[in-house]
Amino acid sequence: MIKSKINTVEAIMVVLIISLTPSILSLPKNLIDTTRSSILINIIYVTIIAVAIAILIYKLLKNFSSSDIIDVSEYLGGKYFKSIIGTIFIIYFLVSSSWFLRNFCECLKIVYYPMTSVVFIIFAFIITTCLSSKLGFSTAAKVNIIVLPLLIFSVLFIFFANIRNFSFENIFPILGEGVFNTFVTGLGNLGAFTGIVILYFLPPFLKRPEDMKKITITTTIIAGIYLLFCVSIILFMFRFLLNVDEVMPLYYTTRYIEFGDFFQRLESFFLFIWILVIASFITINIRLSMEIMKKITNIQNVNSLVYSFGLIIFAISIFPKDYAVSKFLESTIYSYWTFGVSFALGIGILILANFKKRRSNHLPKQKEVLETND
Amino acid sequence: MTSFLKKFFIVIAIIIFLIAFSASYKSSNIGNLALVVAMGIDVSDTNKLNITFQFTNASSVSETGSSEKTEPTLFSIDAPSINSAINLMNTNIGKEVNLSHCKLIVFSEALASRGIQEEIFTLSNNPDIRPSTNIVVSKCTAKTYMKNSKPTLENLITKYYEVFVNSSEFTGYNSNATIGDFFYSMTCDACEPYAILGGISTQDSSSLSNSSSPKDSILESNFKPASGQNISENTGLAVFKGVTLVGELNEIENLCFMIVDNKVDGFLISIPNPNSRESISFIDIYMTPVLSTKIDAKIVNGSPFITINCNFSGRVYSMDENLNYSDSNALSQLSNSCSSYLESILSDYLYKTSKDFNSDINKLGKYIRKNFSTEGEYKDYNWSDKYKETFFDVNVDTSIKSSFLLTRT
Amino acid sequence: MNFNFKNFVKSIFTYTPEKEYDFNLSEDPNVDNQNTNSESLEKSEDNTKIFQSVSVNLDYMKTKYNTLINSDVILREFTLNAKGKQYNAFIVYIDGMVNSQLLDDFILEPLMMRNKNNLHDGSQNKVVCEAVTNNITVRKVKKFDLSEYIMNCLVPQNSIKQVSDFEKIASGINSGNCALFVDTLSIAYDIEVKGFQQRNVEKPSNEIVIKGPHESFVENIRTNTSLLRRYSNTEQLIIENIEIGSITKTKCALCYVQNITNNDLIAEVKYRLNNISVDSLLSSGQLEQLIIDSNKLNVPQILSTERPDKAVTYLLAGRVIVLVNGSPYALIMPAILIDYLGSPDDKNLKPSFSNFLKGIRVLAAFITLLLPGFYVAITSFHQELLPTELLFSILASRENVPFPIIFEILLMEISFELIREAGLRVPSPIGPTIGIVGALVLGQAAVSAGIVSPILIIIVAITAIGSFAIPDFSFGFHLRISRFLFILLGYIAGFLGIALGLFIYASYLTEIKSFGVPYTLGLSPLDNVKGNNYYLPPVWKREYRASFLNTKKPKKQSKISMLWKNKTN
Repeated sequence: MIKSKINTVEAIMVVLIISLTPSILSLPKNLIDTTRSSILINIIYVTIIAVAIAILIYKLLKNFSSSDIIDVSEYLGGKYFKSIIGTIFIIYFLVSSSWFLRNFCECLKIVYYPMTSVVFIIFAFIITTCLSSKLGFSTAAKVNIIVLPLLIFSVLFIFFANIRNFSFENIFPILGEGVFNTFVTGLGNLGAFTGIVILYFLPPFLKRPEDMKKITITTTIIAGIYLLFCVSIILFMFRFLLNVDEVMPLYYTTRYIEFGDFFQRLESFFLFIWILVIASFITINIRLSMEIMKKITNIQNVNSLVYSFGLIIFAISIFPKDYAVSKFLESTIYSYWTFGVSFALGIGILILANFKKRRSNHLPKQKEVLETND
Repeated sequence: MTSFLKKFFIVIAIIIFLIAFSASYKSSNIGNLALVVAMGIDVSDTNKLNITFQFTNASSVSETGSSEKTEPTLFSIDAPSINSAINLMNTNIGKEVNLSHCKLIVFSEALASRGIQEEIFTLSNNPDIRPSTNIVVSKCTAKTYMKNSKPTLENLITKYYEVFVNSSEFTGYNSNATIGDFFYSMTCDACEPYAILGGISTQDSSSLSNSSSPKDSILESNFKPASGQNISENTGLAVFKGVTLVGELNEIENLCFMIVDNKVDGFLISIPNPNSRESISFIDIYMTPVLSTKIDAKIVNGSPFITINCNFSGRVYSMDENLNYSDSNALSQLSNSCSSYLESILSDYLYKTSKDFNSDINKLGKYIRKNFSTEGEYKDYNWSDKYKETFFDVNVDTSIKSSFLLTRT
Repeated sequence: MNFNFKNFVKSIFTYTPEKEYDFNLSEDPNVDNQNTNSESLEKSEDNTKIFQSVSVNLDYMKTKYNTLINSDVILREFTLNAKGKQYNAFIVYIDGMVNSQLLDDFILEPLMMRNKNNLHDGSQNKVVCEAVTNNITVRKVKKFDLSEYIMNCLVPQNSIKQVSDFEKIASGINSGNCALFVDTLSIAYDIEVKGFQQRNVEKPSNEIVIKGPHESFVENIRTNTSLLRRYSNTEQLIIENIEIGSITKTKCALCYVQNITNNDLIAEVKYRLNNISVDSLLSSGQLEQLIIDSNKLNVPQILSTERPDKAVTYLLAGRVIVLVNGSPYALIMPAILIDYLGSPDDKNLKPSFSNFLKGIRVLAAFITLLLPGFYVAITSFHQELLPTELLFSILASRENVPFPIIFEILLMEISFELIREAGLRVPSPIGPTIGIVGALVLGQAAVSAGIVSPILIIIVAITAIGSFAIPDFSFGFHLRISRFLFILLGYIAGFLGIALGLFIYASYLTEIKSFGVPYTLGLSPLDNVKGNNYYLPPVWKREYRASFLNTKKPKKQSKISMLWKNKTN
């Protein structure tokens, strides 16, 4: 029923764009705020845990070949349960993209369009993403292949271009606020790996489902390394950023890049790349929501829902009254939300479904044993 | 009909966006901008701020390709804050004031002594200001300083502003103090900010001549004997503690600051000739760092103990008759003399910042952090107060390679 | 016009069944080696059969061709001699399209003149074999067949066909053949005597290369197919005839190499060509628009070339060529984005040179599309990006210009387009010069008058030069048109507008398929499919054909292609 499938590389990129996009906004700052200068140790620690969780998800999904979590929830609880779970995930995707969109548009407004209402900037994004969502999931994945390497390149460029402004001593004191804070409280930083939620939906889209293990491990490791770069840029450059809050930390660091007298203030190019990244992120979110809707409701051509979903995102984005509310939503609420939906709910459903499957596999065997004994 | 309506809606959408973004367009379009190249902030008589804006005329490149020098124009406004001054300036000159090409921000000494926290925070909050904008504290008023800043060897004053800090890399007599770095140091709990010391030259320069090496420059701005068309000068460093100006450093101290911070690529020093039988009494040596300055910080009996190791190589500039620099003994004598001289000036500088100013402008606090395992312990140690108890151990290793073209006369 | 807003809203938000045509090139290589039929596809129509009586045929032909009015249709009646008997006959041909010498010497003379064959009046029956048993002779005799006799013995012409309906005869006459009708035969002969004037094979006028051959296609389809045959030199090259257009019945040739090209691709192309319902087809450009997948973005999805060497390169790679009679351009399908940025000379040069040129062309494509848009965006919203001195230069040059930047740039872009278009129509000696000189003079005059700034002239000139560096004309045209959209977007919202526009552009571009092949294949990084990278590897590494074509023979070169190097060791 999935018209066109995506190959392994495209799948990895799709998962990565969902993981890496929040790093443009206030994610690195939130990570540093929890653990201070021990953030690098904490990221490595959290990456290892995330890889373990990803492998767990892969193993749990493996038993239901080429099914995604919606099919699994249907197996677990029937049609109504499937609808509920599907609705939760649709709300998750739409709401998270609205919050990120709102925050990013606020930043754009501050920097470039001070006299324009943020509503129009959001509207421009909505129109673009609706038009490109209509074209299908594999198209969105293909455009993503062009956009995601630009994001990774931009962060690496910021890292290496700013290296003369780094003071590597900022990594001390090495344990930050303490061992407990680094390893226990710091577990909250697991919320940075939001791409894991996409892994639940990937299997039906893959051309080669046997590559799922490779996808899970690769994406988590790359996300971890990328986060390491992001936080190290901010940690090494600005110890003071630990005391000061700003709109987009990475954007702030791009203002310091200069090559001689000619190339200065290159941050416009980075914003250009990040606009593409946010557009791709929202397109994939809308498209995934549409595919989930298709599964729940059996609509044959789901393209007619595109404008409705676009309107929903628009409405949610203009809902926060000011920047403080939207920042609170994006930094605090989002990470709890991610924990709840992508980790707790998803893994919970998979574990329960696996139990059910194992029980149903045992029961016929018991019947056979009884019969042979007779 | 559907396609007609689609086209109609596309046209409507374009018109809506045009109207929505046109306000931002009007405010950012280059035709509507007045570009400030330098900004000066003084304390006015009525206890407000007196802000001076320096604009330059854009028609300094004519059609035939030849360019003419243009005089920059100055406007001053009295206002309670920077942004209200900008606001008033917008109405005065008609175009919108834009700070994204502002190269220099000048504070007067009087204002800096009072504390410039609000101004720095406001400027850092402004998305236009570049973090690489230079910050100057001028001993005269900022307005006077800017009035006397005229491009001599360049056409545009902006070129002069961009280039004048480059001399810091090969003389060490001034520094590339930027507002980004100032803001960072100001909000950081382990370091203090600094700014370029500026002023205008006066005739009276003979008042300061009590140093061990009369040839070496111990001058600061406002006292330089240079005369010429451009009489504003920028040498020396303005040292801040927190947000207040606490002291000034002269040129040689500025050089020490640059050495400790690893920002200097080469510099000239004059040392007393160890061999007093020779004709010349002071020898000019051009030094270049071989390795970057290594700093190690320990805590000994609760007090910080910082070791600084430098490694330079030098070549002799001054030449006279009957000199022999191909003799390794002579060179090693010179090297030792050099090393001890540099050690003494570095020590003097470090103790001056620590004892006199208690201001860690070299960000030595970050090296101290290694000795703590958690942030809490480091915060409790309170580095910014402990800095005045620091002991320094300076080791300089110099090797004079040779002179330049002539090795023996 | 009925205005119904409700229907419009419904059409946006309600369910609509998909009505897009979707063709996918199969992913598994098809190793089926069936022989495809290489005879011409004959359309089954209601055709009138040829009559036995020559006078009826004559009247029919006179009516059909309006010979009383048509001045160049000639009906020549004569008496045909065969085996001593005489038959009434006539030939029909179009004056100016036949070679009169051929007609006289090889058709009229052998049929009219008495010669040995004609005079022989021996037994009408020919003995095939004879067997004698028991003094009884049994002979197998073949009856005399006039039609066979004329075809096999009388007409010494290399290409002669027997045809039994008038449609085919008419088609042959219209293309320059001569038709022979003989009394008592219910068939006619379609004899090849073409001799019309046509252009010789010349140098290509629009695709000039340095090191490649300098031959180009002409209007006559047979000459073009002969060029293809000469270059490919393989009997596996199949050239099928298809006629398109109910009035013009334009001959099109579908060419492919049978043991390389994917069968699905051939079938799809044939299917599309056979299902076109138009009155006339006069050029390959028209055919191109009739068979492409979709018209989104106005992006060309079929390559057209006038070079036979380029056509054969693509044939041997596994693509399909369509030639149209009367047009010197061959259509190559499928075509993806990176094909439009490649020149036919790329394989003739060393890979380092051609990769350098390919890089330049990519830069040219970006410049053509985005440079004016970026200029407008930067000067309108992002002026902090410019170095201060450059910004002051721009400001100084714009001091006396009365127009806003958007108006200036649109004025100059449209003027350049006008000059370019006018340069095409100016009589040839001064044609090319007026393009260049006019542009420069106009630009200089505009700067002196203070209407535009000099920097803008440079921007527009670089954009124009970039558009000329694109090898394919239609792709360059597409970029030229799209850049106006980006100028508008840059003016409206700066980098935001351009980025969002670029995103939609990239989305549509990746969605387009050209005969089942995704359009941006080979461009997306990390999507390395064998054999179709944009940048050429060294010649000894080009082992594989482009894998997206799913050819029957994926490998085109052995691993060690330069055997001479290894053997000497």
